[in-house]
Order: sequence, then C-alpha cells, then structure tokens
Amino acid sequence: MEKLIEILEELQPDVDFNTVENLIDGRYLDSLTILSLVAEIEEEFDVEIPTVEIIPSNFNSAKSIWALIEKLKEQ
Amino acid sequence: MSYFDPGFIFLAVPILLLIYNLVPKKIRPIILLVFSFGLFIFISKWLVVFLILSILTIYFVANYLDKLNKKRNELINEEPDNKKAIKEKYKKYKKRILILGIIINVSFLFFFKYLNFFATNTNLLLDLFNIDFNFKIMNFLAPIGISFYTLEALSYILDVYYEKIEADKNILRVALYLSFFPQIMEGPIARYSDTAKDLYAGYKVTYNNFCFGYQRILYGFVKKIIIADRLNFLVNTVFDNYHTYSGATILVGVIGYTVMLYMEFSGTMDIVIGIGGFFGVKIKENFRQPFFAKNISEFWTRWHISLGQWFKDYIFYPVSLSKRMKKLTLKARKVLGNRFGPLISGAIALLAVWSLNGLWHGAGYTFLFYGMYQFTLILLGNIFEPTINNTCKKLHINRQNIVYRVFQSVKMTCFVFIGELFFRAPTVKVGFGMLKRIFTSFNLHNTLKSNQLFTLGLDIKDYFIIIVTLVVIFIIVILKEKNHNIRTEISKKNIVIRWMIYYILILSIIIFGAYGPGYIPVDPIYADF
Repeated sequence: MEKLIEILEELQPDVDFNTVENLIDGRYLDSLTILSLVAEIEEEFDVEIPTVEIIPSNFNSAKSIWALIEKLKEQ
Repeated sequence: MSYFDPGFIFLAVPILLLIYNLVPKKIRPIILLVFSFGLFIFISKWLVVFLILSILTIYFVANYLDKLNKKRNELINEEPDNKKAIKEKYKKYKKRILILGIIINVSFLFFFKYLNFFATNTNLLLDLFNIDFNFKIMNFLAPIGISFYTLEALSYILDVYYEKIEADKNILRVALYLSFFPQIMEGPIARYSDTAKDLYAGYKVTYNNFCFGYQRILYGFVKKIIIADRLNFLVNTVFDNYHTYSGATILVGVIGYTVMLYMEFSGTMDIVIGIGGFFGVKIKENFRQPFFAKNISEFWTRWHISLGQWFKDYIFYPVSLSKRMKKLTLKARKVLGNRFGPLISGAIALLAVWSLNGLWHGAGYTFLFYGMYQFTLILLGNIFEPTINNTCKKLHINRQNIVYRVFQSVKMTCFVFIGELFFRAPTVKVGFGMLKRIFTSFNLHNTLKSNQLFTLGLDIKDYFIIIVTLVVIFIIVILKEKNHNIRTEISKKNIVIRWMIYYILILSIIIFGAYGPGYIPVDPIYADF
C-alpha cells in the first residue's frame, strides 16, 4: 500500500491519497494519469490490469486501487 | 416516421401499454419484442433480416465464449500448475471467436454506410492514375438504427469476452435488448447489463410510471416542436445560401443549428427515457447539462454520453493500454515526465477514437474533419493544462470562481459552435467559407438595418417564443445541475399546481408548436447516423 501511495503521489503531488475517495468522480485522476498509473502498477506489482477493470469504483481511492491489485494477484 | 408523430406517441404507444398490462407477466416481454420488430419492419421492411443476423451472431458468439470460459476454468481446476499456459491458450481461442463476431457485425455496417464512400474515393484515385476501372456506386437504404444497434451488439460480445457479464441463454432477451423500439432510432447505446434484465422482467405499467413517462415525453415535445422544428427553416436557409448572408446572420444560423441539434437530440432522449420508464426500464441519461462543461473534453462526458463512454471503454483504453502502448508510456514518462509521458500513447488512442467517432456519424469528409477538430482541441487542452494552471496560480486567479467558470463555459461553447458548423456544412470548403465570412464580413449594423434576420423564415414572434422557451429550459438545466429532481418536486405539489404545469406544457405545445403550413419538422437527425 505504501508503494502504491508513493506512485500516486509522484503522479499527482497535490492530492492527499490517504483521505480522498473520489479520485475519478472528482476529476483528480484524468485519463492520461490513469495510463501512467496502470503502467506503473503493472511494472511494480507484476499484475495485468484488464481494461474492463478500469472503472471509477476501482480507481476512486488508494484503498480501492489496492483492493484491485490484491484481487489481480490472487488470480 | 418519428417518435414525435402524434399517432405513434398518443395512439400506438397507449394501445401497446394497454395490451401489455392486460396480458400475463410472462407474455409482456414478447409483446414488447413483437412491437419492436413491427416498428422496425414498418420503417425498414425486409432489412430486418440484418437485425436478425446481428442478434443470431452475437447470441452464438457470446454463448461460445462462455463455453470456452467454463472449459478453461475446469482445466485450471484439474491442472492448477498449468494455469498460465491454459489461460494463454484459451485467450487465443476466445480472441478468434470474438474477432469473427466483430467482423460479421461491422461488415454489415460497412456495407450499408461506408461502401459508397470508399468506392467513390477509390474511383477518384483510379482516375488520378488513369486506370480504366471504376467501382459501381449503388444506393442502399440502411436498416434503421444500424449504427446504434451495431455498437450495442459489439458491447455485448466484448463484455462477455472480458467476462464482465455472462452470455444470455435466452435468445429472446438478447433480441429485445438489441431491438427495443424507443432506442432503435437514436440510442442511447445501452449496455446489456443496464437494460436487458428489466426489459424482460415484464413489470406492470404503474400510475406513477405512466405520469412520469408522459411528463418527460411532453418536455421532449416542447424542445422538439417549439424550438427545433421552428429553427429548421432558418438553419436550412442560412447553410444552403451562406454566401448571400452577412457574418452576423451566418453566426445566428450556426448558433441556431447547435440549439436545434441539442433540442432535437435531447428531446428525443426525453421521449426514449419516458417510454422506457413506462415499462420500469431505467435508460441512462444521454445528456448532462453539456454547456456547463469547462472544456471540450468534459463536454464529451456530458453530450451523447453513451457514445463517448462506448469509445472510451472499447477503443481508448484497449488501445492506450495495449502491451506496446504501456511500454511506450513507461519509456516516455522517464524522458518527458509525468504529464507529457502518457500523452503519446494517449494521443494515439485519442486519434483512433475521434477518427472512428467522426466516421460513425457518417461517411464523409465533413464528419472526419469534425472528428479531427475535436481530437485537436482535446489534445491541445491536455498539452496546455499545466501551463494554464501555473499561469492562474501566478496571477492568483481562482479557477473555481464563478466569473472564471462562466468564461470557461463561454469559450467551450464557442468551440462547440465551430465544430457544429463543420458538422452541418455540406463540404469542408463551405464550412471554411462560412467561418471566413463570420470573421471578415460580420456587418452587424447592416444586418440589423436591413432586417436580414427576418428574411430567414422566422418573424419577431418566432424569435420571442424561441428565446422565452430557451430561458425556461435554461432554468430547468440550472436546477438539474444543482442536483434538483424536478419531477419528484412537481409530484409533491398539490393536484391544482401539478395539473396547471401539465396544462401549460400541453397548451404551449399546441399553441406555440411549429407545425402545420409554413413549417417543415426536423427529421430525426441522429437516426441518419
């Protein structure tokens, strides 16, 4: 989780990723940032994020992104 | 045929509702299916064959994909150590089946919509190289709504492929999802998971659903009959003879077209959502106050939402997150930084989205130009966003300030006007000609002095009716933007006020509606796409 927060903070330094829970709906993360984020996560955590998982509910908070990573690791 | 045909909305639909409510619950979806196919055959005759072929292909493709998923899972359970290899093997199988389903459905669309465009352009090329051969140009009438139902068909098999949903074993439910009569002409492009279950549930038409449905339909009528149909003559006159008008009059024509398009399309969506509501089907909104958007990128998340979402889910992300693109993004980020790194793969995906989006609207250079115009604006917006942000910080401009927000919306609306000018213009050359006249021969003084605006088929009463109705709609739009549920609020009022509102709506359509001699109703614009 710490590593994920590090990646997110590098992409968007002005956002408090421990508290914000509407990263997509509040437009904190736009489509381009998502592209970087997905590429970084895949490289760092050795998972593959299918495009079907790129939905607001999976990316609205650091917690939900972490849950997605955990789910993909199990598969 | 249009949903605004009084015979359809005030006779055929009520008869359908009556029969639907009288028959047993199990039969209700069949009634909807028969009515939907009846309407399709009424409009497109034997071309219904292509709708049936689309239904059959997606039904069998989806079920075969499901079978492969199950087989793969069984094998993984039997040989867990071989998981990766089994997954890869079945991914290949699934991809082949998916591609087959896509090719069949897209080829129908290509045949009816794009064959002539490509044949004409190939002939021009052959002529250029003095090759004595020409493809025959044939005039086909396309099945109604083929652009809409094809995207729905593709989304269904893609969602099954991605294992987002399971394939439906009931072919009648698949058929109803693809052919549901209010959505067939102008969308919205629904996802299987959004509507199919409710469509087939056979919910009874309740008094509340009936009232809410007709309220929404009446609101759609106000937009279409009072505004869009009234503006039709003005728009046609200006676009057909632009060179005889001043820049000011052309600008009025362009604004008029944008308003007409918005009123016609969103008015039709009101009807579609109203009819869906009768049967307890929640059809997703296709518009969300688009002119409140801050920039073009946001505009496309508020205008024709279902199309934008379709391209985002099935083109933008699959292209920009393909293996090669992800590698490119990682490399580019190291060189260009966080902001501009993903821009290269993003731009490539965006180019694919807007080329296809332009062509989806029609086979012509104006549509392709329109797509490229939107692509350029969105790309420039992304490139300059950090610069604008920094400049605002330095100048202590609060970007949430109401003045700044109004400035953003006005700027965005001007870009929309230019886009719609090219969208409606018969050729790109004419589009540039019109744009040039707006900037070089504006002549506001002479336009007003010579009463040019009153030579376009509208008199002062017409302009007055349009402006007053637009002000009322604008107030409703502001309330919606502030999250007010107007229909629920109306339903809480006492019966006198409630019926007063209904009567005002009905009477205003009857009295101020642009119908009868002297008016030509707008054809369902999006039904042609």
